[in-house]
Amino acid sequence: MTVCVFASSSSRINSEYAMAAAEMGALLAIAGIDVVYGGGGIGLMGKLADSVLKNNGRITGVIPAFMKEEGWDHPEVKEMIITPDMGERKKQMFTLADAVVALPGGVGTLEELTEAITLKQLGLFNGSIVILNTLDFYKSLIEFLDHMIQGHFLRFEHKGIWQIASTPSEAMNYLTSNETWIHDPRSIAKI
Amino acid sequence: MALAVDDSNFDDVVVKSDKPVMVDFWAEWCGPCRMIAPIIEEISKEFSERALVVKCDVDNSPGVAAKFGIRNIPTVLYFKDGKVADKQVGAVPKNNFVSKLNALF
Repeated sequence: MTVCVFASSSSRINSEYAMAAAEMGALLAIAGIDVVYGGGGIGLMGKLADSVLKNNGRITGVIPAFMKEEGWDHPEVKEMIITPDMGERKKQMFTLADAVVALPGGVGTLEELTEAITLKQLGLFNGSIVILNTLDFYKSLIEFLDHMIQGHFLRFEHKGIWQIASTPSEAMNYLTSNETWIHDPRSIAKI
Repeated sequence: MALAVDDSNFDDVVVKSDKPVMVDFWAEWCGPCRMIAPIIEEISKEFSERALVVKCDVDNSPGVAAKFGIRNIPTVLYFKDGKVADKQVGAVPKNNFVSKLNALF
């Protein structure tokens, strides 16, 4: 099984986020789950990759050429797919992923997470989408998504698209199970 | 073999049981469910005097699945005195299931 992890590239954040990222990496590696991520060497991406490697897990980075040229890629991640641009990068990540986990992050992580939700709503991606809500980081997003449902911008049934985990362990429970969400998303894609 | 329950007998078998009950929610198409099936059988035998271990196919029991908000499978619900006392989602090691069951005695 392959899990794609979206996460922050920032190193200036609360260390609890870093510990959760490291724990996530360790749990995935120990469970023998292959990890795909954005290829970065710093921030939560870096912590995740370090932890996967330390626990003898398999990790593949997918990084756009310009980031590699800037030296933003993780020096120890041997399997690195270089893409021509950001669009191709996301496309590759979704192609490789059986499920996705979003750790806390900025707008880059946010747009990857919301693209995952959009694709699943349209029936173009059908894996688990787990939001790792360390320190209740994603509280406002979760409220915003509920707001969308209340305003009928999303259906109530779409709430089944994402799952919220408070801890990496809880995230693993969702990743090691199948969803009973829906077998025909296209039938409820339109609001 | 662990007893099968569905919408028709869930109340009588699980909710009205005087022993703690472990309910394994599963489905035919669920790989992780098949992975833990042998573990559930072992637990069913090991705890045969003290607890009831049953299986509930969510495809055949939409009422029960909806009532207990089953969104992922496998989900194991632990019942004591007719109420949900604990829950385990996912294909986790046997120890995780056993320690939650032991906590109900």
